[in-house]
Amino acid sequence: MRNRIREQRRQRGLSQAELAAALGVSRQTVISIESGRYLPSLPLAFTIARFFDLTVDKMFDPDDEEAGA
Amino acid sequence: MMTFIPPRLRKPGVYALAGLLFSAAWLVQGGRLWWVAIPALIGTVAGTVRLYLVGGTDTDEGDRIGSRADERQQLVSLRSRALACNLTAITSFIGLTAAIAVKGTWGWPFLVTLLITGYGYLFGLGSYGIAEEGTPDEADIGRQARPPVSS
Repeated sequence: MRNRIREQRRQRGLSQAELAAALGVSRQTVISIESGRYLPSLPLAFTIARFFDLTVDKMFDPDDEEAGA
Repeated sequence: MMTFIPPRLRKPGVYALAGLLFSAAWLVQGGRLWWVAIPALIGTVAGTVRLYLVGGTDTDEGDRIGSRADERQQLVSLRSRALACNLTAITSFIGLTAAIAVKGTWGWPFLVTLLITGYGYLFGLGSYGIAEEGTPDEADIGRQARPPVSS
């Protein structure tokens, strides 16, 4: 499952550590989610989407298997 | 009780307590090997300090030891514990089977471990909700499980 977290984070000039602090998770988890190695829980997915003012389906694309999960 | 202890001190504290009990056991037995308590105590102090220091690092291990793991880190920890439990059960089963085969009297610890693991698993299923499916909708009342082979 591909996501747009890295793209959105860079657009806002945030580091992974700053995003992690805002979401209440570790920097390592942000790295794992960005690379598609970890699929966040539904509550965390909503927190991420709301943080970037996007909907969950705009943030995460289940049809794109490119990043793997 | 744990909530009153600062998160970073929890795992080092548990480790220190276990190490102290282990060291005390060697002292209490009072035999020729009482001195094993000394290296055990040194190891406990060294391990406790190491855990405290690692618990302050910005790594997965540091977050886990520092008791501030997020959902991914908790999931990894949970899977690791499940794997450890599976290995314990398999090892206990092999040990128990071997003891029965050779008529050994040393099989009972394997049996106890296997029983604790098994009951712990069943207790977990009950506690974590597999027996609490909730009330079905009216249309689903009396619904049978899907047959293994559908026509």
